Amino acid sequence: MLRGLIHYWRASLAVALGAAVATTVLSGALVVGDSLRGSLRDQTQERLGAVDLALEASRPFPESLVERLAATSAGGDSRLGGGLAVRASARHAELGSVASQVALVGVRPDFLALFPEGDQVALDRPEGSFFTPVTLNRSLADELTAEVGDEVVLTFERPDDVPRESLLGRRDDTHRLASLRGTVTGILDDRGLGGFRLDPSQTVRLNAFVPARDLARAAARIGELDLLVADLPDGQAAGVAEQELAEALEGVLGPEDVGLQVRIGAGWVQVESSSLVLAAPVAAAARAAAEALGAPAEPALVHLANRIVSETGFVPYSTVLATDWADAGSGLLELAAGDARLGAGAGGEGSAEDAVILDAWTAEALEVSPGDRVRMEYFVTGPDDGLTVDSTTLRVAGVAAMTGAAVDPTWVPNLPGVSDAEDMGSWDPPFPVDLSWVGERDEEYWDHYRGAPKVFLPLGLGQSLWGSRFGDLTTLRVRVPEGEEPAAFARRLEEEVIHRLPRAAQGLELRPVRREALEAASGNTDFAGLFLGFSMFLIAAAALLVALLFSLAVEGRAREIGLLLAVGYPLPAVRRRFLGEGAILALFGVALGALGSRWYASAVLAGVESWWGRLLPGAFLEVHWRPLSLAAGLVSALLLILVTLATTLRRLLALPPRRLLAADTAVEAEPGRGGPWPRRLLAGAGAVTVVLAGSAVVVGGSDPALFFSLGAAACTAGLAAFAVWCGRGGGGLGVGVGPLGRWRMAVRSARRSPGRSVLAVALVGAASFVLVAVAANRGHGVDLTAGRSSGTGGYTILAESDVSIHGDPLAPGRLAGTEPRDRQALEGLELTPLRLRSGDDASCLNLYQPAEPRIVGVTPAFVERGGFAFAETLEPAEEPWRLLQAAAEPGVVPAIGDANSVRWILHLGLGDELTLVDDHGEEVRLRIVGLLAGSLFQSELLISESAFLRHFPSQGGFRLLLGDSAPGAVGTTARALEVALSRYGVDATGTAERIEAYQAVEGMYLATFQALGGLGLLLGTLGLGVILARNVAERRGELATMRAFGFRRSTLGWLVVGENAFLSSAGLAVGAGAGLLAVAPRLAAHPETVPWLSLAATLTAVFAAGLLASVVAVTVALRTPMLGVLKEE
Amino acid sequence: MPETGRSALRVDDVEKSFRSGETAVTVLRDVTFELASGEAVVVTGPSGSGKSTLLHLLGLLDRPTAGRVRIGGLDPWGLDKEERARFRNRSVGFVFQDAHLLPQYSVFENVLLPALAFSDRAAGAAGRAEELVARVGLAHRRDHRPAALSGGERQRVAVARALMNSPTLLLCDEPTGSLDATTAETVADLLFELHRDRAATLVVVTHSDELAGRFQRRLELREGRCSEV
Repeated sequence: MLRGLIHYWRASLAVALGAAVATTVLSGALVVGDSLRGSLRDQTQERLGAVDLALEASRPFPESLVERLAATSAGGDSRLGGGLAVRASARHAELGSVASQVALVGVRPDFLALFPEGDQVALDRPEGSFFTPVTLNRSLADELTAEVGDEVVLTFERPDDVPRESLLGRRDDTHRLASLRGTVTGILDDRGLGGFRLDPSQTVRLNAFVPARDLARAAARIGELDLLVADLPDGQAAGVAEQELAEALEGVLGPEDVGLQVRIGAGWVQVESSSLVLAAPVAAAARAAAEALGAPAEPALVHLANRIVSETGFVPYSTVLATDWADAGSGLLELAAGDARLGAGAGGEGSAEDAVILDAWTAEALEVSPGDRVRMEYFVTGPDDGLTVDSTTLRVAGVAAMTGAAVDPTWVPNLPGVSDAEDMGSWDPPFPVDLSWVGERDEEYWDHYRGAPKVFLPLGLGQSLWGSRFGDLTTLRVRVPEGEEPAAFARRLEEEVIHRLPRAAQGLELRPVRREALEAASGNTDFAGLFLGFSMFLIAAAALLVALLFSLAVEGRAREIGLLLAVGYPLPAVRRRFLGEGAILALFGVALGALGSRWYASAVLAGVESWWGRLLPGAFLEVHWRPLSLAAGLVSALLLILVTLATTLRRLLALPPRRLLAADTAVEAEPGRGGPWPRRLLAGAGAVTVVLAGSAVVVGGSDPALFFSLGAAACTAGLAAFAVWCGRGGGGLGVGVGPLGRWRMAVRSARRSPGRSVLAVALVGAASFVLVAVAANRGHGVDLTAGRSSGTGGYTILAESDVSIHGDPLAPGRLAGTEPRDRQALEGLELTPLRLRSGDDASCLNLYQPAEPRIVGVTPAFVERGGFAFAETLEPAEEPWRLLQAAAEPGVVPAIGDANSVRWILHLGLGDELTLVDDHGEEVRLRIVGLLAGSLFQSELLISESAFLRHFPSQGGFRLLLGDSAPGAVGTTARALEVALSRYGVDATGTAERIEAYQAVEGMYLATFQALGGLGLLLGTLGLGVILARNVAERRGELATMRAFGFRRSTLGWLVVGENAFLSSAGLAVGAGAGLLAVAPRLAAHPETVPWLSLAATLTAVFAAGLLASVVAVTVALRTPMLGVLKEE
Repeated sequence: MPETGRSALRVDDVEKSFRSGETAVTVLRDVTFELASGEAVVVTGPSGSGKSTLLHLLGLLDRPTAGRVRIGGLDPWGLDKEERARFRNRSVGFVFQDAHLLPQYSVFENVLLPALAFSDRAAGAAGRAEELVARVGLAHRRDHRPAALSGGERQRVAVARALMNSPTLLLCDEPTGSLDATTAETVADLLFELHRDRAATLVVVTHSDELAGRFQRRLELREGRCSEV
């Protein structure tokens, strides 16, 4: 066999090279997939350093937690690090350049020790500098144009335990925002620590590292952290180590770590929260803990009444305690009757719902007695999270003596700025106070009783008035069991409560961030499958090429085969012999292809990186081999080639030895040859085409699937029609006569080998179909003229802030320091604020698989306004946004997302559900009820504001702003918005620009498909060249005869090239025509968006390449002497 | 017998050598003969004696290494390529051992083929082709493709095709070589009949003694040298 291969080395080499090309493309596609995954994994490993686990707390915890955990056995085996991370905006102190969406990470030495580059981060002030040392990553340094030695100002929102939107939350920017001025001491590369981020995204985050202590000080959280990272010990099963460390953490968690405050009194222990309100899960845990310990508990809600008004006067700023006093059996609420009517009044005249007990001091001040009515004025949170004054009228059911609860300020959680104030005049509360209301009598009360409750309400009434999404209890007072030390009981209670708290809700769990990130690094898309799909035509063309080359090689040895058969070799032996030779060549080709696949993958990745680099910054792409997928690629390629060879050989060995001996392997056209299949296919495909076309006309829609099917059916019908034409017998009068005579001769020649001609036309046709269909879907742009029904919803600006904004973003107070020019640009701009819960980017701009997408809460006003284009909804709806407000079963929240993101990134469909853990530690199922078409909301899922607030109450304020400015002024307005709201770290962009970025990724995929498809078509064209060479070789007798009759070489060449041109034209016409049919709706709607020029250029280039190949083949063929064909002597 | 007249073909001291590596192989040497218009001659000789080579030289498919071939008193090798191709198309007709019909064309179209090499000869060609198809007895097979024909029918088509442009010189290379005796005789009859009718000069190369025996003039090629028998 080897001698045969060596003797026919040219043919052997051609077959092996063909096999190498096929292997290269097939395995290369798999290597590309591996490389993308591998590159993302590398990026993950680099940016995580040695970090295996991370705890990202929703509120800061004491720094001592790290030390406590380290003191445990599991903690001691691991390397732990602490940090404090906040979202920030950065400004170059001198140049004024600004960067938003900055991750400001306060780090401790033990955090840095987990990264190889950790020693590049300075933790001490540089000599001569008054400011904190700041290390930037390269991206942030570039964005700020900052260099080492420059000063930067980092602005961020102080972490606050008290929800901003609650009565006691700090809303004013002075308290909310903090700044840290620093000197740049180093700039880290974007890889490694410089690219540190725990969430899955290939994008390089803008990172700034400062000493944790400096950041904590600036944030007014001295001695606190909110980030704990761990490097698990080597050599231990990851799962076991994770489990042990998680258990160790459970064991060391104290009340201060979870924001619990436990107050110890005489015979009671009181559970409070640093957030001043007991969130529902905390309240539930505390009540369950008390019950478990067999201790009676008294829940209470404390609020502040701005005024208690009677007919004769008012009492300002009074604490109101809502408890179950009417039927309290706990004995914890001690109220002594200030007059005889207290007991009766509790349930006496009128209902208990509006009954109120005043302390004696207040009753006296208001000159009221039981049975009278008082009006209570108080703050509530308005729809825009601002405070508004509300009031209610209550019936005085009793008056309590100034003892017990009436003089007990311990019912009231400690409120800094109030509880510790010397007098009411020096109050510094988070809500507005009118100190002119405060008189001497009030100050006297304060001197005596501080914030003791003056008013007592039934708990139900209090909760209905002041309960909020943050909770409806402020306090749980628990009776200490008889004989037990309060302090000891408090510890037991703490443990019980902590044990019952849902960790996920507080972020107090060690997440296996490395494992999660590595899983996410497998990508949101099966890249190997994607690139295999992209390379489909390339692989098919390569296989075709192998078949043709092997066919040529074997046909060249037809006499040898004929001789072997003639002298008695059994057919299987001959088949084995040639198949063996083919297998050797295939193996050789596959081996070459294995090397080629690396080259191919490098080339594809280089292309991908150059295309994607602009769109997906941070994607570091390097070639990665995974032995399994490489082996799968090689074996698949080998099988493909062997099957191809076996099929080719079988056809040749079916020829009679007589013909083989005469080297007569040509397949000649015979009338009706090829059987009835072309006619049947034509009938079938034609019928389907007619039916689909009819449906399209009748339905009158623009369903892409319908039209694509119509195009595909038309393409098949066209190819079948060509096959029927090729197989038709006979000929018309006077072929070759007349002005188009030569052309007719060329066309007739195409019928000579119907199989090959149909194959050639099918190849060109199928490729043209795909190229046209794909091109028409590229670069369809953003149709701003569509207004509200477009993907932008009619909005022109999209802004996102680092710091949540409460109230009107463009309130005059916020624009106070804004330049007139910017203020002018913002005139008339109306912003629609939306709520945002941070999460993973679910758009195609993120190559990682998002685990928990960003969630947007849309306001009723937004729903009312409507707009945007919907691809599909779960149920028919005239106003699809209202589907968000539809009732659903408990735990289910209707959600709307962009069709592309939901389908291709989240891998969900209509009616499917995505399960998340909400702020209460409970599972919430987001059910997809609508899919937006080509919208700007590709990174997130949208739910109603009410559901958002219900499930994610900690996400206060608005962080997403949609604006509508004049299209021509988008850039100016966006910039002005960024400047005006720079302290909130606002990043504004044009909505069209955002959608174009998404479309660019889509276009990039299509472009990749087109490029590889085009490459496949070129390879197919090479195959056509080989077909042509075979045809010419087989027709040398004919051509020689024609030469003998005076036909010039040029005429013969023209005839053969014309034949090829006809085949290519037929393929292009069938494929491109059907392709245009497949995208007819888009063409009709937006003909201007189709890249006609590049499409025409691609198809022309392919056509020209085919012609060039045929010219070369014909030239070579016609140069060889032909006389020998006419008569061998 | 057609009437013979002035010199239709004159071959003077023709020599043809082929190079095979370093060695030159001389296939024909000092071949000289002359044929009058309308004359018929058979060329015989053993295999490898140069019969087909001589025919190719006469048909202008190959150029002599030395010597001269004149057709109708004209040295075609003095013409440029274009003119020579036109001259060959107009003046020379070929019949090969294998008919070399074009499989994609019908009988009629194959016969028509020589008229299509130059567009100025296409006028009236269809009529002539119809006539020739009928003349060779294949009118009923007019629209059939070669694959549907017998060997004898194919060769009759080849004969008709060779006469399409009414050549002055008709060259036949083993025209009956692939046929059985009966069919060979039929084809030979047809060849002679048409030669007689059309007054072309006929040169036939053959191994067949039967066919050779029907010619009055016979040239024998042995080791590249030609002699009149």
